[in-house]
Amino acid sequence: MNPLALNESGKTILAMGNDAIVRGGLEAGLGYFSTYPGTPASEIGEGFAALKKQFPHIHTEFSVNEHVAAHGAQGASWANIRSMVTMKHVGMNVASEVLHFAAYSGVKAGFVVVIGSDPGATSSTSEQDDRWYSLHTHLPILEPATIQEAKDFTIRAFELSEQYNLPVILNAPSKLCHNIGSLTLGELPREVQEKGHFERNPTRYINLFGGSVANHRRALESIDVLEKDIPSLSLNKVVPASGKTGFISSSINYLYLMEALALLDILDAPVLKIGISYPLNVKEISEFAEGLDDIIVVEELEGFLEYQIKQLLYDTEIRTPVKGKQIFPRYGELDVDIIAGALSRELGKPLPEAVGTARDSAETLTRDIPPRQGSFCTGCPHRATLYSIVKATDRKVIFAGDIGCYTLSCLPPFSAFDWVTCMNCGVGIAQGMLQKIEGEKVIAYVGDSTFFHSGIPNVINAVQQNADLVLVILDNKWVAMTGHQPSPTTNVSIHGEKLDPVDIKGLLKSIGVKYIRSIDPFNIKGSIAAVRDALRQEGGVRVIIAEQECALQYARRIKINPPEYKVYYQIEEGRCQLCNECYVDLGCPAIRKDYNETGHFYYIEEAACLRCGSCRDLCPNGAIVRTEIKLHPGTARETEKVS
Amino acid sequence: MIRYDILICGIGGQGAISLGTILKLAAIHEGLTVVGAERRGGAQREGVVTSNVRYRGLEKGEPFDERKMAVSGLIPAAGADMMISMEPLEALRHVQYLNKNSIVIINDFPLIPVSVRIGDSDYPDREEIYSRIRQVTRHVHIHNIEELSKSRFNSLKQVNTLSLGIAYAVGNMPISEESLLATVKNQFPDFEKNRAAFELGMETGRSAGR
Repeated sequence: MNPLALNESGKTILAMGNDAIVRGGLEAGLGYFSTYPGTPASEIGEGFAALKKQFPHIHTEFSVNEHVAAHGAQGASWANIRSMVTMKHVGMNVASEVLHFAAYSGVKAGFVVVIGSDPGATSSTSEQDDRWYSLHTHLPILEPATIQEAKDFTIRAFELSEQYNLPVILNAPSKLCHNIGSLTLGELPREVQEKGHFERNPTRYINLFGGSVANHRRALESIDVLEKDIPSLSLNKVVPASGKTGFISSSINYLYLMEALALLDILDAPVLKIGISYPLNVKEISEFAEGLDDIIVVEELEGFLEYQIKQLLYDTEIRTPVKGKQIFPRYGELDVDIIAGALSRELGKPLPEAVGTARDSAETLTRDIPPRQGSFCTGCPHRATLYSIVKATDRKVIFAGDIGCYTLSCLPPFSAFDWVTCMNCGVGIAQGMLQKIEGEKVIAYVGDSTFFHSGIPNVINAVQQNADLVLVILDNKWVAMTGHQPSPTTNVSIHGEKLDPVDIKGLLKSIGVKYIRSIDPFNIKGSIAAVRDALRQEGGVRVIIAEQECALQYARRIKINPPEYKVYYQIEEGRCQLCNECYVDLGCPAIRKDYNETGHFYYIEEAACLRCGSCRDLCPNGAIVRTEIKLHPGTARETEKVS
Repeated sequence: MIRYDILICGIGGQGAISLGTILKLAAIHEGLTVVGAERRGGAQREGVVTSNVRYRGLEKGEPFDERKMAVSGLIPAAGADMMISMEPLEALRHVQYLNKNSIVIINDFPLIPVSVRIGDSDYPDREEIYSRIRQVTRHVHIHNIEELSKSRFNSLKQVNTLSLGIAYAVGNMPISEESLLATVKNQFPDFEKNRAAFELGMETGRSAGR
């Protein structure tokens, strides 16, 4: 039984921050959910998808991009059904056009936008702070700190959305999304509303001429009303004390702050914990500030609370100094150590000796240890594709990078990636650059999901402008990087049900691409030849589709439906010339090194190998042999892996 | 006040996340509050993975105090009561979380990083790794858990429960054996095999190791 579906109010379960948001949606009686997957928010979509059976009335979709996802949720809200859209922080850039109109036109049923933010950019190409958007979208922001609040604030967000006629944003940083711990469940609704109804409301829904100005005014008025009500909403709280230095914080930074204060033995500091970070209530802030000698604002990134607090206090008599980004970094993640260190310097309070020693000695003890970077999984078709591209080009082309698992090709051993910014930066930047460079070849990458997200307009533009480039579509049939959500090219579900995928070739033909070739990445020789041929052609967009399912999904499927035979790949020691093609240039993690009396040798770790066969195809010495063993029906088992 | 922080580290795919889940579910079974963020390997392999497990609870009759009970998802420097590292180098990489009382369990089974594979750096000598960790804490327990699992169970599937048994034997987790075993029973198939692995782990933990 999925614990998120339990109808046992008061029961405590183990849940991830993202699960808590799912449960909040269930308890709030949500009927529509859309998302474009992105770390750290991906598990919210997976959570709803996994609850399809228990909650059949909830429409759950992995949309083509965040813009579409946000519009969909707005549509459901206007049909009087509570709706949620989730995305990672950079998804907000894509959805922002929709969300800039959302306050103008308001909601019918509650409309909640969940943003998974990524301070420290551990799984993103930027660490932008989406909270700043609200200064012009005028969407209220709730910032839960704990797993429990992630659920409770989600429910509050739906209520506030309806009460103030505004979509409400729930901002959850990655360290909350991926915090896993105790969650106490609340009640599930007794009845669910399966279908809604659209009621015309031209004054709010038609943003034309003076209508949009009137809606702008209404949005601002709604925010003003909400601002005045904040003290009565119990979203913010004061931890009172008699000290003269007060702290204001929100989100997980509040927890870091409380731990840092305890470490520094500062037990008399008043703390204002902000649960709603836009708008702020001037009365609440000034009452907290009054009588204090200093206020220190603790938040990640560029100082959104500090900016607002200073602005609000400017209109009052209060002149308490407010410090924030003078003390804490404006970039990167915060944690207890960074906050405790900064406060120790600022307030002249020493760190406990053990903490100081640990940090100093760790620096010396770990000085020269090798870093560990990510790598393509064993059996990953992208690894094979990248190997072939590097061999075909000797890296003497410009590599227009993009976002997906294949972004790892920026790392050794491939190092075949010249830039990565946002979605579809590959073709997009390349086709402009190509108008102004000469004599250089360009290979642009795009994954299937990224192509559908926002790649099609870029490719049309490149075709129309006759950009001379080779586009490699790495079609692995899933949104793999974020945990295998379906993509428009997913042709068979993990359980083997046939789906109806988009025909990429037909699509490319119809937009005027004349050169389209499919390759099987595991056929290394064929792939190298195909890349060379595409590069030799003159002018225009040439597309190579590297088609092979994500290895992890493939491995899962054969566990469910085992094949009748088993294949083994082995390195014949006598034939192996230690040339390093497989061990270094392909870099497959299943190929291992060991030592004997005569020196080193390579072998394939059977338990790790996914039988893609790339190594055998590329071995110049024919040293890798393939053996096929037919198994008795029903006994085929996938090799054991530690899980 | 009950507080006990465990840092689990390893490489993507090694089971650090599942081990963290078992320790957290056991806390809920026990009636403790638990939190802890995970650093996941993403879709890619061979990246560093950590799981923070932070137990909190009130003693009988102890009043709730927000200043003491507020707990974030990340263990601060010198804050780990226990570290379970699935790999030697990763134990050293996370040495800043240890203090002189920390209990460390290390799986003596190196996994070679890509940077070493391509010749950019060397994997440090294991004795050197262990001696550096011992400069911080003397309570270091080193066992080749992979080998143990392979030799006793002819499989790598028992690595997690073996680790759990070792950790339970050498640490002072505020969790009962019954809660741990009940969780293992719920989470893993083949309970008898896992119970045997847990017991073998406890026995191994009590033995000297390296």
